[in-house]
Amino acid sequence: MSTVPALPLIELKSVSKSFGEQVVVDAISLEVRRGEIVALLGRTGAGKSTVMNMLMGTLGCDSGSVRVAGVDPFREFRALKGKLAVSFQTDRLLPWRTALDNAALGLQILGRSRTDARRIAREWLVRVKLEGAEDKYVHELSGGMRQRVSLARALAVDPEIVLLDESFSQLDHVTSKALRADFSRLVRQVGKTCVFVTHRIDDALEMADRILVLAAPARVAFEEAIPEDKRRDIAHLAQVHARIARAMGGEEDA
Amino acid sequence: MNEPDDVRSTARPTAQPTALLQQARPVVADSTGRREMIAMTVVVLALIAAMEVASWFVPDYIMPSPVIVARALGDLLMGDKSHIGITLLRLAAAVSFSMAAGILVGLAMGTFASIRPYLRSLIIIDTGIPALSWMLVAVFWFKDPEARIFFILTVILLPFYALNVYDGMRALPKDSVDMIESFRPSRMQVLRFLVVPHIVPYVFLTTRSVIGYAIRMAIFAELVASAVGVGSRMSLAQSTFHIDQVLAWTFFLVVLNTLFQSAVALLEKRLLRWRPEASVR
Repeated sequence: MSTVPALPLIELKSVSKSFGEQVVVDAISLEVRRGEIVALLGRTGAGKSTVMNMLMGTLGCDSGSVRVAGVDPFREFRALKGKLAVSFQTDRLLPWRTALDNAALGLQILGRSRTDARRIAREWLVRVKLEGAEDKYVHELSGGMRQRVSLARALAVDPEIVLLDESFSQLDHVTSKALRADFSRLVRQVGKTCVFVTHRIDDALEMADRILVLAAPARVAFEEAIPEDKRRDIAHLAQVHARIARAMGGEEDA
Repeated sequence: MNEPDDVRSTARPTAQPTALLQQARPVVADSTGRREMIAMTVVVLALIAAMEVASWFVPDYIMPSPVIVARALGDLLMGDKSHIGITLLRLAAAVSFSMAAGILVGLAMGTFASIRPYLRSLIIIDTGIPALSWMLVAVFWFKDPEARIFFILTVILLPFYALNVYDGMRALPKDSVDMIESFRPSRMQVLRFLVVPHIVPYVFLTTRSVIGYAIRMAIFAELVASAVGVGSRMSLAQSTFHIDQVLAWTFFLVVLNTLFQSAVALLEKRLLRWRPEASVR
């Protein structure tokens, strides 16, 4: 008896994108299946953010096709309402809202009442370990706390897909590591599909089920899956690290 | 999502409006506040002393003593309450309407690229017309003095709100626009959750800037276009050679302006408590 593989939730087929004369994405193809956590790894300028913007729907492609949850995220922008959430490189919290109201923002946009949105947001703030900080304004929170609120805001809407655009790269090493661990745990717990962009190999190794190394102009130069049973195998991870570093053409960006 | 008048098309990526406003907003430490209070008291006392000294050497119709002015002020406050009330009502109505209409025009300028140049041109032409021209024109156009004063104050104040709100929209951080767009909101939701809260500091900034100007224009308009109100009473005092009353009204208007400024500042502090206090050494 053969098992039919699940349809990909995210699918890029021969996608290209140029800005003027410069080819930024060159016929890239990739698939992400439901429940998978995929890292897009690459040096600065490898085209990671362009791919991410196309997945978000803020940028169209010149050729090829992008499908996210069955729709073209650029042409059918509103069709992904409630299905897709993004956590950005910076927290992008609204300064006039408290931590709780920031976490509730996406839910309010989805049409939930303020009371309902705040109730769900409060639960998510507890999950991201921000209990007690609900009523604090943005300027009263540390960088790590702000990023946690941003993650709560993204996950609170219960999206099918979570996109992370270098969400931990501006934090110090310790905070970033703690946040990565918490995020991986939460995403696996609730079974979300996640694509995250990073330039740090450690981030990718720690969080991803599959790592795609992008080389400029964005094309998949290397791909490696991290099986569940090898996730804590230091020797295996070290070998993968070495292979990825070679694929990236030496050491990763700082 | 790619329509030219999309809110995103007005976004300026590098602007940090709250930071700019924080710079524009003087954050006065306690000691500085006390020093300024002392300085204000000293200046007021010096002016009163100068008035007193001047009154010794010139007739009362040129410079009455502060005691005479204080007496006149007491009489006016007791006897001309209705005139004061009418002026305050006219100010409240005109400032409220100008604020509401100015915000709507500013939002329209920021949201609809197609009508922006027309509204902008209209406002720029309006700001170039002298206040006196509006006052004289209003006398021809409107029979009712209330309509005249309301019209004069509105055409003078509205452009300030419209231009500042439009500037506020232009300074919307692109990061925030992208963030909220990632949730696929409707245009009304973008206005409600992002644009309107973002422009509130700009509305306060405008109100603080125009309030003194609004009082001056209201008095001037009453002087030209109405038989009731503080402006008309000042005109009457001048024509009957009561300089003590002119000075008393002037003192009243200065105090009124200070009270309004303080009230707006208090409200601003309360409503914008999310802004961090910053001070420059």
